[in-house]
Amino acid sequence: MTRADTTRQENHNGVLTGTDAVATEASQTVAPRLPMLRIERRAVWWWMLRAGVRWGALLVALVVTAVLWEASRPWLIAPIVAVGVVLLAKLLVEPWWRYRVHRWEVTDDATYATNGWLVVEWRVAPTSRIQTVDAVRGPFEQLLGLSTLRVTTASSYGSIDINGLDHRTAQEAVTRLSAVAELTPGDAT
Amino acid sequence: MSILTSTVHDQEAPTIEEQWRRLSIRVIWVDLAQAVLSLAPGVIAIWIVGVTPSVGNLWPLALIAFLGLVGAIGDALRWLFTTYRLTDTEVQRRTGVFVRRSRAVRRDRIRSVDAHAKLRHRLVGLRVVAIGAGQQTSAGEAAFTLDALTRSDAESLRDELLGAEHVVVPADGTDQADPVAGVEPFARFRPWWVIYNMFTIWAYLTAAGLLWVAFWLTSTFGINLVSFIGDTASDQGLGLGATIAIIAIGAGALGVIGLGVNFFTANWNFELARVHSDNGTFLRTRRGLFSTREVNRDESRMRGLTIDEPLLWRWMGMADTNLITTGLGLWSAEQPTALVPRGPISVARHVAVRVFGEPCPLTIALPPHPPAALRRRLWWATGITFGAISLLAWPLWTGIVPLWTLWIALTLWSLLVVCAVVAYRALGHAINGDYVVTRSGLLSRSTSALRRDAVSTIAVRQSILQRRLGLSTVSVMTAAGWGIYEAPDVDAHEAFRFAAQAAPGLLDPFIEPRR
Repeated sequence: MTRADTTRQENHNGVLTGTDAVATEASQTVAPRLPMLRIERRAVWWWMLRAGVRWGALLVALVVTAVLWEASRPWLIAPIVAVGVVLLAKLLVEPWWRYRVHRWEVTDDATYATNGWLVVEWRVAPTSRIQTVDAVRGPFEQLLGLSTLRVTTASSYGSIDINGLDHRTAQEAVTRLSAVAELTPGDAT
Repeated sequence: MSILTSTVHDQEAPTIEEQWRRLSIRVIWVDLAQAVLSLAPGVIAIWIVGVTPSVGNLWPLALIAFLGLVGAIGDALRWLFTTYRLTDTEVQRRTGVFVRRSRAVRRDRIRSVDAHAKLRHRLVGLRVVAIGAGQQTSAGEAAFTLDALTRSDAESLRDELLGAEHVVVPADGTDQADPVAGVEPFARFRPWWVIYNMFTIWAYLTAAGLLWVAFWLTSTFGINLVSFIGDTASDQGLGLGATIAIIAIGAGALGVIGLGVNFFTANWNFELARVHSDNGTFLRTRRGLFSTREVNRDESRMRGLTIDEPLLWRWMGMADTNLITTGLGLWSAEQPTALVPRGPISVARHVAVRVFGEPCPLTIALPPHPPAALRRRLWWATGITFGAISLLAWPLWTGIVPLWTLWIALTLWSLLVVCAVVAYRALGHAINGDYVVTRSGLLSRSTSALRRDAVSTIAVRQSILQRRLGLSTVSVMTAAGWGIYEAPDVDAHEAFRFAAQAAPGLLDPFIEPRR
């Protein structure tokens, strides 16, 4: 409440010239509500596999270098410790943390998703601007029967990736979104 | 080819407008002249200067002659096989000698019609017309180019596609026409803008290019610049240090002069104007001394403006003004999105006011971001410094790296702290009328005003540090310009309100009043 009051005061002082109408229209503080749906529990395994392969390979490469090439050892100690810590965090913490954060929701008007762990992100893309909808399946995802729903808009940065969906759920979402998006007139730019 | 032609002629007799037209015959003249000119250096070297012909000294001239001749013949063939036409709904072009290509662009998708001319085109009154239809900016090319038409043909084609320049009073007598005259000039060439375009890092690159050309040309005539410089640098001459200093200063001066000359030739007669035509309004830029360029940008495709102010030149108020629009290449060397050449911030603001009208979203005062945003930057500055030190910790301990490197780290830290303050002061955001305004950037402070109805995806981001400091980063994505415009480190309580206002209606189902 105090936050809203200070904002209004700024307006009267003329700092935000020309924005008064808009600012007062919604000067109340708002918070996002959570997207309705959670992702599959299996996604935890997917994140673990991915982290293990990527960071594990890096750690092995560093350790092998340190063993074979003696002169490089003083320089490699800090990187090896750092990569080891990252690998542990990615294996033991990240998957569970992400599983708590990642949620999604598709309505007729928009796609809404939250993702991330250390950096949490809320992302909304309007259906009217959708250009493509895909269900993407990498090798580990195929192994676990998972699928990533990828919604792209005309902006190269504006795509939404929803990881860890059951592949049937993702396929249904693709079908539904494509149907809705095609109904919307305009060239989506 | 034959299939296309036959289907066209099966329909009722085409009007004159729909007939296939050819490029101007003058293209052939240019090709002939190019062929003659490409032979000239070799002829001069052998007959006038009297260089003894040998493979070693003549290969550059032979290469020039060969490339020139092949280019000229290829261009003449291209002229022979290229035709274009306008129908009611499309512009079509057929081209290609061995591989025939037909391309059609719907007229209602055309977003820009540009005319440019190199010196050789200008001498014979030709214009190269590029038609842009809003293809992916990353493709970096126009929908197609017509190379080249006579000046009058180019102008009439532009008028046909974009509508004539003059204001047409409606036939029913109602006074809907814009009272302003057809062309509304915003900015004209000022010679002293050259100062803003001379002193950049590109000066040395320009100098390197010029010196390379000089070396290449003189070597053909039997003078070796490298050995000449080597002689000068040797003991009998000036000595190494003095020679390096002279080369550095000389090259810098040469580069600065080169950039200055380049600025004058590229921007001579520059004019930015709003052109009212039958099909809407266009922002038209004309410029160039030897080669001219005209760009017409459809204002209905305009999504906003960006003003960039580079950090090192902020004291002199240097600014770049770019249009946020779809279908114009951002990476093109011709900078089709640049409304005015690099110049003073006052001109940039003036142009922004004229483009947007009052109130102008780019000239309002933006309230500062919460002090926590400064604290975040200071934390990062400190974190980076200590990260660097900890990476060196073991080598320092064992004495592989001398201890004085710590002083470098401390200098780095104080520099980063200054950067943090500068970056914090650059932050700003606002909603102003139909526009969402964001300002940020350390090395180049960029202020963008983006149309709210052009925003597609919207994202709010929060790292752990940001959550502790009560901050969020709001990103608005759009199809135009760079595609993403960010307001970093907005007060977390305000972030979602700002996001909801930036894309009206989009976020409403997903937010609720904070309890």
